Amino acid sequence: MRRRWTGVALVGAGALVFGYVVSREDWWSLVLRSLFPDLPVVVFPSATLGQLVVQHLGLVLVSSAVTIAIGIPVGVWVTRPSGRDFRELVSATVDLGQTFPPIAVLALMMPLFGIGTPLPAIVALALYGMFPVVSGTVAGLDSVPPAVLDAARGMGMGRWQVLFRVELPLAARVIMAGVRTSVIINIGTATVAAATGAGGLGSPIFSGINTQNGALVLEGAAAAAMLAVLADSMLARVEDLVTPAG
Amino acid sequence: MGVQSASVDRQRPRRRTDRVAATGAILALAGCVALPLYALRANRIVNGTPLSLGAGGPAAWMLLALAIAAATASFSLAGKLRARVELACAVGMMGALLWALGFAAAHLAPDVTSPARVSIGAGAWVAVAGAAVVWFAAVHARPGRAWRVGALVALVVVVVAAAMWGGLGRLSIVLEYAVQGAAFWSAVWTHIALAGTSLGFAVAIGVPLGVASSRIPWVRTAVLSIVGVMQTVPSLALLGLLVVPLAALGLPGIGPLPAIIALTVYALLPIVRNTYVGLTQVDPSVVDAGRGMGMSRWQLLTRVEAPLAMPLLLEGVRAAAVMIIGIAAVVAFIGNGTLGVLVILGWGGQVDDLTLLGAVPMVLIAVAADVGLRAAGRLVTSPGIRMEVS
Amino acid sequence: MIRLEEVTKRYGETLAVDRLSLEVGEGEVCVLIGPSGCGKTTTLRMINRLIEPTSGRIMVGDRDITSVTPEELRRGLGYAIQSVGLFPHLTVAENIVTVPKLLGWEASRMQARVGELLSLVGLDATSYRGKYPRELSGGEAQRVGVARALAADPPVLLMDEPFGAVDPLNRERLQGEFARIQKELHKTVVFVTHDVDEAIRLADRIALMRDGRLQQYDTPENLLDHPASKFVHDFMGADRALKRLGRVRVDAVMRSEVPRISDGSDAVAAAQRAACTAERFSYLVDQDGRLEGWIDCRLLDRGGSAESAITHVDWRATTVRPDTSLKEALSHMLELGFRSIAVTDETGRLLGDVALAGIETTLTEGDAYSAGGPAEGGAQ
Ligand SMILES: Nc1ncnc2c1ncn2[C@@H]1O[C@H](COP(=O)(O)OP(=O)(O)O)[C@@H](O)[C@H]1O
Ligand SMILES: [Mg+2]
Repeated sequence: MRRRWTGVALVGAGALVFGYVVSREDWWSLVLRSLFPDLPVVVFPSATLGQLVVQHLGLVLVSSAVTIAIGIPVGVWVTRPSGRDFRELVSATVDLGQTFPPIAVLALMMPLFGIGTPLPAIVALALYGMFPVVSGTVAGLDSVPPAVLDAARGMGMGRWQVLFRVELPLAARVIMAGVRTSVIINIGTATVAAATGAGGLGSPIFSGINTQNGALVLEGAAAAAMLAVLADSMLARVEDLVTPAG
Repeated sequence: MGVQSASVDRQRPRRRTDRVAATGAILALAGCVALPLYALRANRIVNGTPLSLGAGGPAAWMLLALAIAAATASFSLAGKLRARVELACAVGMMGALLWALGFAAAHLAPDVTSPARVSIGAGAWVAVAGAAVVWFAAVHARPGRAWRVGALVALVVVVVAAAMWGGLGRLSIVLEYAVQGAAFWSAVWTHIALAGTSLGFAVAIGVPLGVASSRIPWVRTAVLSIVGVMQTVPSLALLGLLVVPLAALGLPGIGPLPAIIALTVYALLPIVRNTYVGLTQVDPSVVDAGRGMGMSRWQLLTRVEAPLAMPLLLEGVRAAAVMIIGIAAVVAFIGNGTLGVLVILGWGGQVDDLTLLGAVPMVLIAVAADVGLRAAGRLVTSPGIRMEVS
Repeated sequence: MIRLEEVTKRYGETLAVDRLSLEVGEGEVCVLIGPSGCGKTTTLRMINRLIEPTSGRIMVGDRDITSVTPEELRRGLGYAIQSVGLFPHLTVAENIVTVPKLLGWEASRMQARVGELLSLVGLDATSYRGKYPRELSGGEAQRVGVARALAADPPVLLMDEPFGAVDPLNRERLQGEFARIQKELHKTVVFVTHDVDEAIRLADRIALMRDGRLQQYDTPENLLDHPASKFVHDFMGADRALKRLGRVRVDAVMRSEVPRISDGSDAVAAAQRAACTAERFSYLVDQDGRLEGWIDCRLLDRGGSAESAITHVDWRATTVRPDTSLKEALSHMLELGFRSIAVTDETGRLLGDVALAGIETTLTEGDAYSAGGPAEGGAQ
């Protein structure tokens, strides 16, 4: 128990450090200048790193919120009697969807929603992120031993009580693992989505590529990498926390 | 009692709506009536104006009729008959949609010289998805083997016929393909070559690392955590981060080298992890028996552990392949001519059909790799252990 | 054939095996037995060097086992374990030829060997060779495991609770088959078990261990009759007398001079001739000496009719063979409600009989630790 909270504290500290480092534009310009002494600009001129991080997180949080709000209920629904008919269809769709390249999903959304706004990116991220969440939810609920469900029903729990007090708590770790995969993929895909005008940490990278400015590329890449690793370890801690003891 | 009710069931099947097929049919209907099936553009760059359903000619009305028929069947019929009607409707809807698209293209942009284009609208995608759902539901309702195969054959015939005589050649994505020509195929091959080469490297590095991980605890800890962290780094960011060390070595930060490095790194995790898990899940008593009968470590690995770990290892290779086929699109940003280039050009020039011309083949390659490697996995799995893996 | 000299295995603080010395003669079955954790498995696995002893020396044949590589050593020692460890990805035939393949046999020789071995362990070769382990029942898998251990005809067999995971009925049959195979092949066997009955049934000699130390190494009879300590006495169990019967063959106490009447063609006349013998019963046999039934002489004496005095029986259901154990013979008698039982050969020819009284004398030969023996905590 103590060990778990130490992990949480460490990750929390990491987040604070990341936030501070990102806000110190002067440090970045110092380091990047020393690496690329000959370039005219070494930090992204159009937006501060802090703004880019906020944009990026905005994209990911909005899309992941949509993903979770739809994905988990869908996963639950197809394991209930009322949705059992759709279970195979949903599983097949999720399997197929996970083989789609994320950039292809992004590309397919463009003609539908138009370029230059974050909307197609958010829709694409939310859709693509749905697959691991749904499959995690189904797998998690499937992993609950039938004997446990029997016991719960035998004790007189209603269907909703069984779901909320027994099934979801026992499935929480696997569901969270799906959410974690989904969010990490979204952070990565959101970087690419900058090419469609969605903003975020991909912007300095693309700007750097277009102007052959390695410093800008590095600025965006380093921040995006740190953000992803931090988010991953945060979600790993959440996974630990929702795992029932024992 | 049980026998009796079963025979009653056979005579008068219980009528229960096929909700999956109904959903698909309604989706297809919505695609026809609520969204544009096709859009007309004055030229390849401007946004399209939606066309009415009727622009697709008789085939469009047939599509609508088939969608209604499928919905009706899913509500009112039952048993094998329903499955067969649904299957026929699904094939018919796909065929009708293609002919409608072709009709609209051939009539509204008939001339080779005219800049006008007819492109695929959102409704068409929704209708295809709906028809696919009907198909899926019908196949799962046991229409019989002959019908399943027959439907596939019919679909191929309809698609080929539509391609040859249905005017599909005037559809804007096909025109776009004609414009790109050799560039398209070179993008396809570059895409496959980059992904394939990297996959080869990843197997060559990852399998030994996985074996070492299963033997030496500290290797496992080190390798799995390093590869795991690398995996979370966004692909574009990893490409960016590679610039500095490569430059320090005097190597280019763009082009195939950083691409292959990045793709290999991403492919490593599933391969290493599955090799490791595959080896460690081998029943210890089997290993003990092998050792007790005088197998050397190498013989034990090659004759016992490797065949038993192979299904999981190949599953790792499959996951890696699918993933890096996706990332191979991203390396187009650092000057590799993969299918990603078409997507980027499409975005840059706002040519939606060019974007599609990059994205659709990418999906097809990924799905083909997925299906192919799954089949390969079944092939190398001994029948003795086939049941345990699924 | 196998000699352990002062062999010790230490795991940190635990002494898994403590200065164990043991000699197993050629063609002998040595059963290692003792409570769980007493070091049986460790001892066995030291013989094929799956575990290296901390100290001591092990000889197999006339060479030190460390004089060859472990792989070479193991290919000459058959090895069968409780969990069987059949390779799930290989067919039964492929599993069986594992060691021959390692030794580089020719394909045709291996194929022939598979057939031989499968019929040896009582499985139909044609239908079983192509099966995969997951298609086998526990007992079948265990048979294949034994066949695999025997594949390259090793002089020595090492078996770790080979029948431990099989249900009791199948275990009984596997034990019987093992005894039959051993009689045919005369392997030198080290056999680990925790089942006293199994040990008594199969062993030429039993090594009883406790906490890594050898408590007694002797024939089953001596372990039962002359336990070296209270621990040995207790471990062998309260029903030692019955267990002892499991070791004694019928022919050891069989009475072969039994009254018999060859009836010729007229059974009734024969019955009347029987009336004069001193015994109560007389066996009735045909010209070939095959058992047909018996005659109650006392009934004849009292003037009963000859027909009523004769009981016709099917010898297959009511007799035992000379190599049957007394335990089994006794159980037969109790089942049938007889005070004696006839012994015939495989074709039904009468060889003699065994009476309850004869078994009783064997039963009463108690040991020193039975009721009235030395007090608690005798020599240990
Ligand atoms: N690899 C090991 N490490 C530590 N202790 C062991 C190991 N293997 C066996 N032991 C210990 O050695 C003793 C004998 O074990 P074993 O030979 O397996 O007993 P058994 O008679 O049940 O077969 C036990 O106390 C066991 O805990
Ligand atoms: Mg043991």
